[in-house]
Amino acid sequence: MDQLPLLFEGFAQALTPMNLLWVLIGALLGTAVGVLPGLGSSMAVALLLPVTFSLEPTAAFIMFAGIYFGGLFGDSTSGILLNTPGNSSAIASTFEGHRMARSGRAAKALATAAIGAFIGGMIATTMVVFFAPTLVRLATVFGPAEYFALAVFAFLAISAVVSESVIRGLAALGIGLALALVGIDGPSGTARFTLGMPQLFDGISVVVITVGLLALGEVFYVCTRIHRDPVATRTPTGGRARLTLADFRRALPAWLRGTAFGAPFGLIPAGGSEVPTFMAYGTEKHLAKRSNDTEFGTTGSIRGLAAPEAAANATAGTAMGALLALGLPTSATAAIMLAAFQQYGMQPGPLLFERSGDLVWTLLASLFIGLVILVLINMPFAGVWAKLLTIPRHYLYAGITVFSMLGVYAISSSVIDLWVLVGIGLIGVIMRRYNIPLAPVLIAVILGPMAETELRRALAVSEGSLGILVDSPITITLYLALATALAVSGVQHLRHRAQKVR
Amino acid sequence: MSITHSHPVPSTSAPQRRRFRTGRSEFVVVALLYVLAVCFTIGTVSMHVLGTAVPGPQFFPIIVCALLYATASALAVDILRHPRLPDAEPHPGHGDFSTDMLRDLGDVGDERTDARPAPMSPRWTTYSDWRTLAQVLGAAIVFIVLLDPVGWILCAALLFWVVARALGSMRPVFDIGVALLFSSVIQLAFSAGLGLPLPSGFVGGMF
Repeated sequence: MDQLPLLFEGFAQALTPMNLLWVLIGALLGTAVGVLPGLGSSMAVALLLPVTFSLEPTAAFIMFAGIYFGGLFGDSTSGILLNTPGNSSAIASTFEGHRMARSGRAAKALATAAIGAFIGGMIATTMVVFFAPTLVRLATVFGPAEYFALAVFAFLAISAVVSESVIRGLAALGIGLALALVGIDGPSGTARFTLGMPQLFDGISVVVITVGLLALGEVFYVCTRIHRDPVATRTPTGGRARLTLADFRRALPAWLRGTAFGAPFGLIPAGGSEVPTFMAYGTEKHLAKRSNDTEFGTTGSIRGLAAPEAAANATAGTAMGALLALGLPTSATAAIMLAAFQQYGMQPGPLLFERSGDLVWTLLASLFIGLVILVLINMPFAGVWAKLLTIPRHYLYAGITVFSMLGVYAISSSVIDLWVLVGIGLIGVIMRRYNIPLAPVLIAVILGPMAETELRRALAVSEGSLGILVDSPITITLYLALATALAVSGVQHLRHRAQKVR
Repeated sequence: MSITHSHPVPSTSAPQRRRFRTGRSEFVVVALLYVLAVCFTIGTVSMHVLGTAVPGPQFFPIIVCALLYATASALAVDILRHPRLPDAEPHPGHGDFSTDMLRDLGDVGDERTDARPAPMSPRWTTYSDWRTLAQVLGAAIVFIVLLDPVGWILCAALLFWVVARALGSMRPVFDIGVALLFSSVIQLAFSAGLGLPLPSGFVGGMF
């Protein structure tokens, strides 16, 4: 148990007034972008990355920790009160959550969601504290072949297993890998695809790509839809979160079941909390059917909301563990966090705990503090947060456009970056229009260079023999698991295609 | 973002004549992928390779090019076989997640949420509103060109004003004030406060 003293040291670092202020700012920002549909924590972190460069890394990461969890608190608020989930991670909790609000139990629903998110996040973060050293030890036996297998697993799981269309997912992966190739090749020093422009020698900045795809791309997409899509009628129900002890007892098993679904998914690159939230929802639905719970599906069951909400934050919590200890981003948001570490010259993975141990433990401590602050600002003020939806959309998106330009210009005061940003924004709008997933692009851009380096390193050791890639139990397990997931998802796609033809 | 919708969407394709093009505009993406693939192929072949390490810097780009050609061709075949009109069906995360998979995992029946895109309407010639996008894109281009000579405050205010107007703001004069306030606050907070180098342009010379 040598983690506990380290964690307490982290708390001591994080509990200074200045750092508490950063957590609070992060929590407020995160909740805000979570409430607003179309925006998410990943976009907020990407936009803030360049402008926080003058802060010291600890302060920046403490703020990012608040944003990271805050997005998941906010997205269910608008889902419950307005039936408009702020993000796809809140769809599953919106079903029963909004039913509860409609039947006059909005206060109860908001409290269930906030406490569920708190419990899921707390348990998962505690697990990270205790299991991170084990993960780190596991990672130290990883060689180039294992890291390459991990990257391939992440690439294919996100682009082919969970995405709507396998072809479009793989196309997105290709675009991301191609963007990551631009720049000087590290091992050999060869300039690749730079068109002879010295500005491109360092490659296309990850910040430019993420801001282009997630922020400017979203603004452009809103432009193509805002005068076309019907205006959703929003009838805000007043919100002050309250929960009686009896309700707490009823929801508790669901919170714990949800956490149990969510926590393992943080370690698997399945794109985030969507899959576990739906699994948690499905389980509660089955259990309600078995126990003849008439509330479920009619007036809204507290358990049907509690489970997915806890699952979402449990996934986010353990995803942080996989990111810090293995350097493996399991969702687009985690990938942006990884990019944030790289911007500060740190590489998440086993070495991070050795080299920047104090930062890691301060970050973990601020995750706990962030959760407490989030529950405090979400329980009493849920109705205030829902009012964010009344901000005129034209000002909101005008502000995001200007802020994207500011962020990208701030990286290196380069006008070329701004042209690249607009180009990537256009790719982003085309991809949204045809429902080509964005997550594979982000994962590929961020893990692509690592995959290439490790592949070349492995093949250099084996002198070109491909056998080394499947030479150890770890790689064989990873590839077998991937093959199984691909097969299951393939059967799933074919079965639904057959049903639709009929 | 709905998972299912209980009200059937009225069929909108009836009054329109179905042409070969209908539902196949996604060929834009095929073209984009091919252009990317050809550019990267040329770049790989003409690469001035340093060092003699095997596998060298051309090894991974070859794999990526192969992936781009393969997905572009597969996508072309898919569009030819199944043209897709914009629908009001749910696409969680713009295609990041398979609706069928989530529906099976969650045993979802008739649950729904109300955020849902509009299906193609006969009132429009194109599904997407390219005119509004062109206005915003134009403003972004003007912003980039004028940023260095004119300076942050005026350029950012212009960009803000045009985007707000294009997205439906009805108060142009009031917006000038909002835009100037927004850009000035950013200049103060980030340039004076955090030390980001924002170009002051000719306005800066007046102070």
